[in-house]
Amino acid sequence: MWTLLALLALGPAEERPAIAPVDLDATVFATCSAVAEPPAYYAISLVPTRQVVGTGRATGLAQMTFDRSPFGVELAADGSYRTTLAVEVAHLPSIDDHEFVAWATTPSIDRIARIGTLDEDGATTGPVEWNKFLVVITLEPVGYSEETSWSGPVILRGMSRSGRMHTMAGHGPFEQLECRTFGY
Amino acid sequence: MPNFRILRSGGAFLLVLGTLLPSPVVAQQHDQHADHDMHMGHDMDHETELEGGWLMPPMDPNMPMMPGLEGAVPPVSAWLPHFDLDPEDFPRAEPSRAVRLADGDTLDLLVSPVRRTILGQEYLMYGYNNQYPGPFIQAERGSTVMVRVRNEIRFPTTVHWHGIRLDYRFDGVPGLTQPPIEPGEVFTYEVKVPDAGMFWYHPHVREDIQQDLGLYGNLVVLPEEPADGAPYHREELLALDDLLMTEGGQLIPYGLESPVNALMGRYGTVMLVNGVADHELDVQRGEVVRFHLTNVANARPFNVRFGEMDVKLVGSDIGPFERESWVGSVPISPAERYAVDVQFPEAGRVAITNTIQAVDHFRGVFYPHVDTLAIVNVRAEGVEPDLSELHSTLHVNEHVVQEIDPFREHFDREPDHEITTMVRVRDLPQAIVLSMEADTFYVPPVEWNDAMPMMNWLSSGNQVTWILEDEATGGRNEEIHWTFQQGDVVKIRVFNQPQDFHPMQHPIHIHGQRFLVVSRDGVPQENLAWKDTALLPVGSTMDLLVEMSNPGEWMIHCHIAEHLSAGMHFHFTVEPAAAEADTP
Repeated sequence: MWTLLALLALGPAEERPAIAPVDLDATVFATCSAVAEPPAYYAISLVPTRQVVGTGRATGLAQMTFDRSPFGVELAADGSYRTTLAVEVAHLPSIDDHEFVAWATTPSIDRIARIGTLDEDGATTGPVEWNKFLVVITLEPVGYSEETSWSGPVILRGMSRSGRMHTMAGHGPFEQLECRTFGY
Repeated sequence: MPNFRILRSGGAFLLVLGTLLPSPVVAQQHDQHADHDMHMGHDMDHETELEGGWLMPPMDPNMPMMPGLEGAVPPVSAWLPHFDLDPEDFPRAEPSRAVRLADGDTLDLLVSPVRRTILGQEYLMYGYNNQYPGPFIQAERGSTVMVRVRNEIRFPTTVHWHGIRLDYRFDGVPGLTQPPIEPGEVFTYEVKVPDAGMFWYHPHVREDIQQDLGLYGNLVVLPEEPADGAPYHREELLALDDLLMTEGGQLIPYGLESPVNALMGRYGTVMLVNGVADHELDVQRGEVVRFHLTNVANARPFNVRFGEMDVKLVGSDIGPFERESWVGSVPISPAERYAVDVQFPEAGRVAITNTIQAVDHFRGVFYPHVDTLAIVNVRAEGVEPDLSELHSTLHVNEHVVQEIDPFREHFDREPDHEITTMVRVRDLPQAIVLSMEADTFYVPPVEWNDAMPMMNWLSSGNQVTWILEDEATGGRNEEIHWTFQQGDVVKIRVFNQPQDFHPMQHPIHIHGQRFLVVSRDGVPQENLAWKDTALLPVGSTMDLLVEMSNPGEWMIHCHIAEHLSAGMHFHFTVEPAAAEADTP
């Protein structure tokens, strides 16, 4: 159904500034400019799922910065990092009566939080209080106001850097141990 | 720790020295992994002495022994004070006492071994004037006090007056501002105190040993006039520290020729507040207490919570913030200070905790962890006067705003200097190098716990070099030398390079000057206080606006003691302004 909807809605996609996916393994140094960049190390590259026709060229990036804090880091009550996620997506088509919404969810998708609806520039900003999480961009009917779950298809997805954390079992000196013993 | 009270009375401050009451001993320490239900169990014996007198640091029981490291010990000599000395030859240390110094007064400060009792066990440690922490020195702004230091420990030492813009000749940096004070020698510091605030003092020689064994104390500089902001009933010091021990309570030795734990710094397993593991204080219901937090630990950052309460953040290293604000917790890295006002509205017990999301690198998971640092017993009896209404109001400190105003024009300009932090290693055991493959899948912005104590412990300062690199010249650590003129306002951008062997957060300390953290990761900071130390998380960039007000030779370094010993420092010169230079 979503594919059909997208096909019906598709006109020529509005060209937006391209945002290259971040190479998370590349060495990134701060540049000499008046404004420093958010930490590239923790940036989340958003990749298209190609579930909806016309969205396969979409690229995106979610940049993490700590919420403003007098301390250098901002923490939630339980000690988790409290960060602001700035989502930017390019090359999304316009689809009648629909809009794109950014969400954060835990890896097990048992908790979901709405980051915000992408604006006409494909951008939105919102807080995240989890250590490991996924970012998804979904296609929703205009005015969809649900705060804790999405209804439409996932258009792009990405994982926080912390989601890469893996058991040492099966790696390096612990190669003989099976990582599945530790839940992986 | 004696209570000192700065009470507002008719617009004036009265200093009242409280009496010291012994605190009841209660078992309140959390085991390092008490909240971490992941124990598989391993059979490593951490209480038996290894080759050379080493003891292995406690490890998470779910962590299997790293193949190839069975029986391994650090490649330096193990050392603890009782290896050389008979503890019975030294006095038992006493809690800190306050000493008020007038302009021109002299304090004799003895640096010597002392016996300390922690959780019922006795240890031979170090102390200033046989006290833990060292004497709480109180001086008035603008005064100069003399501190005559006699060194009676086996190591050379100095005293660094952290955060104080004093004459650089008394800044306590060996080889830069003075020769080290050799055992048996005396050196007299002239400590001029131009800024009001809560400062501290500690050695600047092998801090990883000397400071960790108890050589630290606070120095408060009292303003001539009452500060802005809400009143409070009393003030309390909280010096936050930790000690690395086996589960049986044996101190883990230090590296004699070079520090061990050079990768992360020495994270302790027993939390101390004001030198004890069972700190308690009594307050009356409704009392507003101003807590002055100082992180005196070698490496550990704390995230301090006061029960479930929001607390009012009022000040940092060198005085108040522009605006008071409510915060849920106080993240504080080594050498930083924060002041918070806390009201205790209900009778009962309130735990002051270190509340963190720890990382288990072996499992690849975060887990919540809480250490109880201290207990506040709130009596049912209500306090007078009732300050609830004033406490609930957030105040603007106009004098701080006005003092910062002339610097705002510099906030957005290009940085004058850029530094990148990084680390290089050599000759580490192959098992450690291999394990980093998995350890660096993810590096947290701040390491709140030591998730890999064995790996950390086996790394010495001979194998690890922590680096500050000047982006303009490529110079590293002491290859860097900057020169400024007194009165310069200098913007320094510091970037914590995350793509490295084992990147870590760094508390960056600048000697002898004060600075503002004007932005982090390109986001302007909105509520400022003058600082001398600031936390730089992994991957982050911070812009420091430094007022080069104080001529002399000064150091910039990471305040993780083991990182400093592993090279992470350089110095700069501030040449005196012309008029001052001409003064004979």
